[in-house]
Amino acid sequence: MGRDASLKQHEFESEALVHLDTLYNVALRLTGNAPDAEDLVQDTVTKAYRAWDKYQPGTNCRAWLVTIMRNTFINQFRRKRKQPSRVQFDSVEDVSVFDEVQERDPAGSFFRSIVDDDVKRAIQELPEEFRIPVVLSDVEGLSYAEIAEILELPVGTVKSRLFRGRRRLQKRLYEYALEMGYIR
Amino acid sequence: MTGFIRDLLGKMMPPPGGIDCGGVLAQLYEYIDEELDDPATVEKIRKHLQVCKRCYPRYDFEKAFLRFVSELGRTSAPAELRGRIFQNILEEESQN
Ligand SMILES: [Zn+2]
Repeated sequence: MGRDASLKQHEFESEALVHLDTLYNVALRLTGNAPDAEDLVQDTVTKAYRAWDKYQPGTNCRAWLVTIMRNTFINQFRRKRKQPSRVQFDSVEDVSVFDEVQERDPAGSFFRSIVDDDVKRAIQELPEEFRIPVVLSDVEGLSYAEIAEILELPVGTVKSRLFRGRRRLQKRLYEYALEMGYIR
Repeated sequence: MTGFIRDLLGKMMPPPGGIDCGGVLAQLYEYIDEELDDPATVEKIRKHLQVCKRCYPRYDFEKAFLRFVSELGRTSAPAELRGRIFQNILEEESQN
């Protein structure tokens, strides 16, 4: 292997592969299952490695990788399945869970009674157009602008989907807590 | 103090931070996400939250929710996948 190749590998490992957890996480939430998520991560990383010359050093590598993943998902994975249906505004989003729990649990301590499998399930159950902004923002910590770029949406749309997604997620977690008897 | 006098005083007193509860709640997520562009607005909301007994609990609740999601929503890439990916990249080069 030549010197250039090992330099490229080294660069790729230190700049791109440090985001492997992010890629896996986003892949899981896109595909909904571990085997497909692993395939999607592998395809994404291979594409990114082949396109590494096009990546500008010092720019946002994580957003670049997630963009490649999203395109790969749309082209290869979604073709097999149905398109996500457009989600209507739901009355679920009108009322904040806080209004329901503020008397009993104003600090939101019921959240801590919910196990992580339930949280992941609740996130997975969100419609895709809310799920991906929530994962990118609230799990991965990306900014509104980064998410807007990745999803090719105006920032205002990202904001509204994120806020609506959060409300739905809160509602779902609240329902879990009720079902499990963590709150009465 | 009767409700009438309280309402009257409420109307005469400027809201804490110079922003009312509705304004704070409408921008609460952007405030928490540190996505507000105007530093003056950020400062108003910060001041409001320090004293408002209505908005602060809401702020506290949303923070608890977001902290919870970021801590529990994550799954690490399996070690075996990690290994396979490093291996792929080595092979990618040796093919060239
Ligand atoms: Zn207030």
